[in-house]
Amino acid sequence: MNKRTSVFDGLIGNNTVLSSLMVISPVIMCGDTLKNAMAIIYAFSAITFISVIAGSFVPRKLPYAVRIIIYTIISSLVFIPVKFAAQQFFPQVINRIGIYFMLLAVNSLIIVQTEAKFYRMKRGKMIFSLIFYIFGFDAVILIVSFLRELIAHGTIYDRVVDIDTLISGFGLPFGGFIFLGLMCGLYRKIRSVSRHENTGGDSNVSDD
Amino acid sequence: MQKKLKSERFVWLDIMITLITLEIMQFFYYGARAVVLCGICAVVSLITEIICTRLMGRHFTADDLYCISDALIVTLMLPAVIDFKIAGIACVFTVIIKNEFGGRKNMIFSPASVAYVFMLTSWRSQLIMYTEPHVHTGISEKAGNLVSSASHVFNTTGKLNFTDFEILMGNMAGSLSMLLLVVSAVILFFRSDISKGAFVGTITGTLFLACILPMCSNIYDSVKYTFSTNMVLFASVYIISDRRIAPKHNYYAFFYGFFTAVFSYALVAFTQKENMIIIVSLLLTPVALAFRNLEKNIELLEKAEKKGAVTVE
Repeated sequence: MNKRTSVFDGLIGNNTVLSSLMVISPVIMCGDTLKNAMAIIYAFSAITFISVIAGSFVPRKLPYAVRIIIYTIISSLVFIPVKFAAQQFFPQVINRIGIYFMLLAVNSLIIVQTEAKFYRMKRGKMIFSLIFYIFGFDAVILIVSFLRELIAHGTIYDRVVDIDTLISGFGLPFGGFIFLGLMCGLYRKIRSVSRHENTGGDSNVSDD
Repeated sequence: MQKKLKSERFVWLDIMITLITLEIMQFFYYGARAVVLCGICAVVSLITEIICTRLMGRHFTADDLYCISDALIVTLMLPAVIDFKIAGIACVFTVIIKNEFGGRKNMIFSPASVAYVFMLTSWRSQLIMYTEPHVHTGISEKAGNLVSSASHVFNTTGKLNFTDFEILMGNMAGSLSMLLLVVSAVILFFRSDISKGAFVGTITGTLFLACILPMCSNIYDSVKYTFSTNMVLFASVYIISDRRIAPKHNYYAFFYGFFTAVFSYALVAFTQKENMIIIVSLLLTPVALAFRNLEKNIELLEKAEKKGAVTVE
């Protein structure tokens, strides 16, 4: 795999939600309308980007457990101004999202991927990689919420669309769970086909 | 292996025969629309199953025909006047979900109950309103006078004004013929097509609570109406006692059926919501799976013990 591909990995090749099944709870619980999705995208992007960049300055000499606690404290501190700003931009949506908004402060990208991936890279490459990981999450929640809003509520960003049969079950958490499951299946299928083609079809392609 | 495969196909055939019999009774009460609904559900399920098996890289075999019996079970739970499109969507959804979780060899819930709950969350108003028996609605017509089901009336008022003959024949809105259901249950029970333990457990649990916590003043009426409404008998035969879901050993299956019946009875008694047994059967499916897992572990331990004993000898 070349360096260019690894930077873009988070967007398609190793998508946070579809590949690693990380940060799925906000997608399932809150990703039923585009308005919710916009609020989640804003909060997730801001908290994750600032926290991971700030966390990269934490000395590596500290024990692992202490570093993780510091990352959490940083992200919790970042969460405070992000929440205040969100209340200004998305006043009604924030109440509806509830606990899932707060959980974004301790999402897997900050807690797990920082040590496993980001802080092993050079800072410049890490920033690019992080941006694409965030874009990967944003793209998935946008697609999921767009489709779920259309199918379940018959609207796009609260504007009514002429659909005669609505499936309101898809607006519920179980619908989101199933919808995401289908998307994951489709994503893995496409990825395995493309990898198979890239390797010439004769190598053993593992599907992680 | 060959014998097991053959027996599984005979089970499907037996279930299909009983379901078709019930469907014929529906035709008698609700006209051709009931049959068309059944046909649409069966065809849609079959096509979706074929597509799903192909996408999963498997070949479609006779064992995959279970999707048709599932579609028929779904149809029998629906009002004949329901929008065909809704029934079709529910069938597609059910087959996709079944295959999403691993297909027929890895069933983690009854497909029919999933379809019912899915429809309940999406089109509740259409699902619980029926036409009166003998009111035949045309295939392309929209039903006029819709009524609540007999189950709803019984749950909210605690009484029903139907003769025993009408109950036996299923001459009530939203109910199936008790006579046919009992005959089907007996046939499937003695041919071991359903889980005996789960069936006996469900019947025992319902009977037990109908006697000690009657829903109406008279215990006889309580038992009679409890079994003839809320799809209790239908779900006991075709959903809870489904051999693909219920624990294999009758001992564990009994408790699975018993708890399902007890919880659903309690929910009906306290919430007055109809057909709770289907929702409860879906919610308690993990219990059945846990029992199955336990059985598997016990078998493995027994095998290991036997192997150990042989080595010592």
